[in-house]
Amino acid sequence: MAAVALKNQLNAHIASMFAAGFLDKQFQELQMLQDDGSSPGFVSEVVGLFIDDAEKITGLIAGLLDQPVVDFDKVDALVHQLKGSSASVGAQRVKLSCEQFHSYYEAKNRDGCVMALALLRNEFYDSRSKFQTMFQLEQQIEACS
Amino acid sequence: MGAAAGGEGEAVRVLVVDDSPVDRRVVELLLRNHAAAFHVTTVDSGKKAMELLGLNNAGKQRSIDMVLTDYCMPEMTGYDLLQAIKALGSANPIPVVVMSSENEPQRISRCLTAGAEDYIVKPLRKKDVQRLRNCSAARSATKDAVAADDRRWSSVKKNDAPAPPPRPDTAAKKATSEQRPRRLAGAGLAMASTVDLSHYLQFLFKFILLAYAVLCLTELLHRWSSGCFLSQLP
Repeated sequence: MAAVALKNQLNAHIASMFAAGFLDKQFQELQMLQDDGSSPGFVSEVVGLFIDDAEKITGLIAGLLDQPVVDFDKVDALVHQLKGSSASVGAQRVKLSCEQFHSYYEAKNRDGCVMALALLRNEFYDSRSKFQTMFQLEQQIEACS
Repeated sequence: MGAAAGGEGEAVRVLVVDDSPVDRRVVELLLRNHAAAFHVTTVDSGKKAMELLGLNNAGKQRSIDMVLTDYCMPEMTGYDLLQAIKALGSANPIPVVVMSSENEPQRISRCLTAGAEDYIVKPLRKKDVQRLRNCSAARSATKDAVAADDRRWSSVKKNDAPAPPPRPDTAAKKATSEQRPRRLAGAGLAMASTVDLSHYLQFLFKFILLAYAVLCLTELLHRWSSGCFLSQLP
C-alpha cells in the first residue's frame, strides 16, 4: 500500500518535471531502456554521471572566467560538452541554458559569460534537486517492496 | 585489424570514442540492449582509439568491426581519427560512423566526403542503432564479395595468362552494399572470358600453320610421284 502511494508520488513528480520543461523525450528513451529489464538502475547511474560531470564543468568554466585573460575557446569546448551530456540524459533546461551561453562566448563577452554561467548554474541546481527527489522516491519504493 | 564479423547472428565489435563519460555510458547501454549483438569497447580520446586500433604502432591491436566516434573532442577530433583510419588505404577499411550534437550540413558533408559511413546527430536513440547495424552488414557483404573474387582469380590463373587488371578503385569507394559485390562479380567473369579467347586464338593459329604445312607436303609428294621432279635432273 505504501509502495503504491510512493509509486504514484514518483509518477506525479516525473510528470511535473516534464511539464515544467526539466525533462524531454530523451529521458523517456532512457526510461524505456531501463524498463526493458536488462539494465536496472541505468537511469540513476547515467543521471548520477551527468550531475558529477556538470558540477566539474561549471567549476572549470568559473575558473576560466576568473582568469585575467579568458580563453573563450576552452569555455566554448566545456559548454559544448555540457550541452551534449545534458542532451543525452534529457535535462532540457540545462541544455537550453548552454545554448543561450553560446552567443556570449562567441562575442567574447566576459560579463555576458559570467551572467550566463550564473543562469546555467541555477538551472543545473534546480534540475539536480528534482533528480535527487526522484531517486529518493525510487529508493523508498525499493525499500518497501 | 578488423577481423570478419558483423554477419547475421555475429556480435559486432564496436569501438566507441567519446570524451564525455555520460555519452559513452548511454551509447554503451544503447548498443548492449539492442536485439542485434554488439560487443562494445569505450575509450575517451582519439589517441587511445588509435592505440587500440594499432594505428600508431604502439602495442598489439584489438579486432574492431566498427568505430563510432564523437566529432568534437580535445586534441584529436573525431574527424582527425576518421582521416587516420581511412589513410591506411586498406581494401576493406573499418567503417567509421561520426556522431555529433551539431546538425550542421557542412560538417556532415565533410565527414561523409572523408569516408564516414554515416553521421548521427546526438543524442543517440534506439532507431539509430539499426543504422549502425546496417553499416556493419554492408562491410561484411563487401568482404565476402572480395573473397569470392579472389577465389575465382586463383582458379583461372595460369603461367601464360595475362596479369589480372588492378582492382577497380570503385571497389574501395563509397557505394551501396548491393552494387559493390555485383561489380566485382561482373569484372571477374569478363576477365575469365578474355583468357579463354586468347587460348582459342593461339590454338587456331597453330592449326592453320599445321594445315599449311600439310598442304605443302602433299603438293611436293604429288609432283614427285608424277615424275616431274626426276625428269628435271641433269
